[in-house]
Amino acid sequence: MIYDRNNLPDDIKNLPDADFEPLHQEDIKDEKFKTKPVGFFKDAMIRLSKNRVSMISGAIILLIVLMAIIVPNITGYSYTEQNVAQQNLPPKIPGLEKLGIFDGSRVLTDRRKDKLDDTDRYPEGCIIEIFNEHDVKNVTMCDVKVDYYKYSGVADGEYHWLGTDYLGRDLLTRLFRGARISLIIAAVSVAVNLVIGVVYGAISGYCGGKIDIFLTHLAEVLDGMPYVVVTILFMLVFGAGMFSIILAMTVTGWIGTSRLIRAQFYRFKGREYVLAARTMGVPDKTLIFRHILPNCVGPLIIRAMIAVPGAIFSEAFLAYIGLGIAPPEPSIGILLSNGQSVLLQYPYQVIFPAVLISLLMVAFNLFANGLRDALDPTKRGEE
Amino acid sequence: MFRYIMSRIAAMLITLFLIMSLSFIVVRLMPMSLFENPEVPLEIQKQLEDKFHLNDPLPVQYFYFISDIVAGLDFGVSVKLRPGLPVFGILINRLPPTILVNFLSLFISIPLGLIAGTVAALKRNTWVDHVISFFVVIFISVPSFVFASALQYFLAFKLEWFPTLYDTNAATLAQQLHSLVLPIIALALSPIATIARYLRGELIENISSEYLLLARTKGLTKVQSIVRHAFRNSLIPISNTLIAMITGIMGGSLVIENIFAIPGQGGLTVKSIMAGDHFLTVACLIFYSVTSLVTILLVDLSYGLIDPRVRVGGKKS
Amino acid sequence: MGNEYMNKEVILSVKDLRINFRAYGGLVQAVRGIDFNLHRGETLAIVGESGSGKSVSIKAIMGILANNAIIESGEILYDGMDLTKVHEDEFHRIRGKRIGLIFQDPLSALNPIMKIGHQITEVLRLNDKMNKHDARAKALELMKAVGIPDAERRFEQYPFQFSGGMRQRIVIAIALAGNPEILICDEPTTALDVTVQAKILELINNIKKERNLSVIFITHDLGVVANMADRVNVMYAGKIVETGTSEEIFFEPAHPYTWALLSSMPDLHTKERLLAIPGTPPNMIFPPKGDAFAARNQFAMRIDYEQEPPMFRISDTHAAATWLLHPKAKANGIEMPEVLRARIERMKGSGVQNG
Repeated sequence: MIYDRNNLPDDIKNLPDADFEPLHQEDIKDEKFKTKPVGFFKDAMIRLSKNRVSMISGAIILLIVLMAIIVPNITGYSYTEQNVAQQNLPPKIPGLEKLGIFDGSRVLTDRRKDKLDDTDRYPEGCIIEIFNEHDVKNVTMCDVKVDYYKYSGVADGEYHWLGTDYLGRDLLTRLFRGARISLIIAAVSVAVNLVIGVVYGAISGYCGGKIDIFLTHLAEVLDGMPYVVVTILFMLVFGAGMFSIILAMTVTGWIGTSRLIRAQFYRFKGREYVLAARTMGVPDKTLIFRHILPNCVGPLIIRAMIAVPGAIFSEAFLAYIGLGIAPPEPSIGILLSNGQSVLLQYPYQVIFPAVLISLLMVAFNLFANGLRDALDPTKRGEE
Repeated sequence: MFRYIMSRIAAMLITLFLIMSLSFIVVRLMPMSLFENPEVPLEIQKQLEDKFHLNDPLPVQYFYFISDIVAGLDFGVSVKLRPGLPVFGILINRLPPTILVNFLSLFISIPLGLIAGTVAALKRNTWVDHVISFFVVIFISVPSFVFASALQYFLAFKLEWFPTLYDTNAATLAQQLHSLVLPIIALALSPIATIARYLRGELIENISSEYLLLARTKGLTKVQSIVRHAFRNSLIPISNTLIAMITGIMGGSLVIENIFAIPGQGGLTVKSIMAGDHFLTVACLIFYSVTSLVTILLVDLSYGLIDPRVRVGGKKS
Repeated sequence: MGNEYMNKEVILSVKDLRINFRAYGGLVQAVRGIDFNLHRGETLAIVGESGSGKSVSIKAIMGILANNAIIESGEILYDGMDLTKVHEDEFHRIRGKRIGLIFQDPLSALNPIMKIGHQITEVLRLNDKMNKHDARAKALELMKAVGIPDAERRFEQYPFQFSGGMRQRIVIAIALAGNPEILICDEPTTALDVTVQAKILELINNIKKERNLSVIFITHDLGVVANMADRVNVMYAGKIVETGTSEEIFFEPAHPYTWALLSSMPDLHTKERLLAIPGTPPNMIFPPKGDAFAARNQFAMRIDYEQEPPMFRISDTHAAATWLLHPKAKANGIEMPEVLRARIERMKGSGVQNG
């Protein structure tokens, strides 16, 4: 609606005079920011804490780490303690056994029924249920569900929460001892890779020129080698053992990090404020440690987080191939591959390490994803 | 362009050379060398001594080692697993099942992954997307051998839908494939997830791009613009993903073949490592390297051909 | 000069358009009731800051609003249709063929891995079912018309092989390929070098004349407006605050916001300080009561905080929505700032013309 000023409707025409008094505005200012500025990391932590998936993953990781530290020491069994009489016991957990699961029972198939009364074979009280009676050549056979613990002559009150393996070793202890070993291997190899990568990339990026070209080409050639092949070859040369595994994983693991650091150096070398600082006499060391490296911290942390499950995976892989750490020391991979050979008979020996490694890998990946989103500078200020 | 190809081939050859040198160290210089081993039958020891010029200085041995391989594909003889038999022959025999399984895994994972990624991108942030993303995380994180065990136990042992192990006596191709279903699935899960995640990311970014908007404003329908612009652009930089997928499948098959008793190269490698038959092991590894590197080179070069920025511009974008 | 078009037919008519966006904080009122007409053959400029609603309005015309946009009410009448009601499945017939759009940044607007020849001919071959030969011929003709030299060879090239100005010419060629009668330009020169800007503007003007197009030109740069526009709409906070021929806007601006815009343009003779417009545009989730510009308006009166000013007619072609035009305001003797008056005198004196 466009109004003709000579022909205004009454409600507009007759507005009070006072309304048309000019208001002498105070200086119109730009709106002040009402909140204090939040630093980059603090902002990232806030965003991370709001990410439920990451928080849960982080909690799971923490829980597993704690258990890896504590559990092997409190079970009462040692990870090497062998007891052939207690071979392959199924899991038995106090409390849950009353519910019918994890009660240490197992079904024995095709047993002669007449032998069931023989207490040398079937100790007192171990038979829980008899079923599937059938006759084979005039002999009555049946399937029998026994309390395998009693059957094996295990004393009352002795529990193996996750069962035992073929040498009678307690699997709960071994599982978390294995988790401990796997985590240590992963952590150490990632840390070593980080250090090598940072140093290599820093030298390459800082020096530039021929040194840089040489180092970069060298890294590229190393990177070209198939990871599997290199790792296996190294293991063959150095033999089994934790040291060899860590060494094998550090042959090429640092390359990605070195590229990252080098790129950061290059990004900053051209920046004006660096040039300015240099002309003012700021020593290079300060520039490196105060300006360039802190910017790398975010991506570095993310890389490390992602590298850990990779290391755990590598170690398990090597174990499957027969290049794991030396027995009797367990690792998750060794437990998995040991269990694999009896998968069809005693699946529980695979299930527990499988669940644990899956949890670890998924949790680390999810946490790393959340970390990446949190540290993404383009998302600052997002809810 | 030509220079680019040449430099990549040169890099590959250098890498191969390095690997062969490392192998030499493994075979010769490591403790428990086969040559001192009293367990090894005498005739074979003699054979080895002659062959490998053990009485000559190291550099000479090195030279013969390399030249034997390059010129005559002669990797020596197996000592532990199949004493006396030339390694190369053993290897070749075991290739077909490996190629079959790996190829089929790759072959089914590409379309499945593309579909999953496209659906997730188009239905972004709906429950469909969340479900797909959930499975993507699981399939990428959990190692393939865990899936293999699970598949073997539940689908083969319990449900008896598939045989638990590779059926070496399969009469027909169909039967053979039937017994390969589980290993193929186990190997394919991770590549499917990898490609799905990658495509979802690229598609989402490209769908919200300006040039897609332009496509719509000039009169293309939504479907036309997404397919002809967003989708096509998303597929172009796929080479990195492909390389990761191939590497994953090749590595995974080492363990998967073991689990399903497939008489392939991977299983052979594992067996020979466990038996300590180093000539065989080294040969397997060199073979593996060659296959892996050549495949990667091919993918890399073809990417160079497809992306016009590389092809025309003459520089890597 | 803008007068001559006022007698031509109206080909596009926007009536009381209101558009909101669903955002995290609430509902953002991006366009709060705008009315304007586009006459055949004219160039209408829409001027305003970021957030004024100018881009949103033209996106509504093209039917390319984001998913979280809601057209609350209003009509966009074109050729017997109401564009706000046209279904997405049908809209592709209008886009490109009847109404074309030129983008701001030609670098991101072109598909980097598709040959530009193909990008021009794509729609012709897909939806118009033109054959390859004809489409190519047409594309080459277009490329020549927009000033791309060596068209035969360039047809096969990729966007990265062109300079910024050339890319924008390609974007223009694409927009013209469907023979639209309306051309919308969304800040087409903002991303270009100053030297190239003038050439592109000249090109648009020439094309408009040759093909008898009607043009809507979005910009925040008044200098561009002076060169291009027959009529101008000034937008602020989702509303049109002043509309008129470009002579009227430049020589007789009536709204304090227009005064502020004109004052903030630097020119060679400016000895005094540039008057930047203080303050920031208001939060459109909770639009202020009264005149949205009041808080930044040094000439505000009490009523500006109470009631939104209606559009007051100044001439047949000129109107502004400010209480300053109310008879009672005249009495208080509020006038445009001296600086501005002096500048306008200079402009008139140096014979700044349109077209």
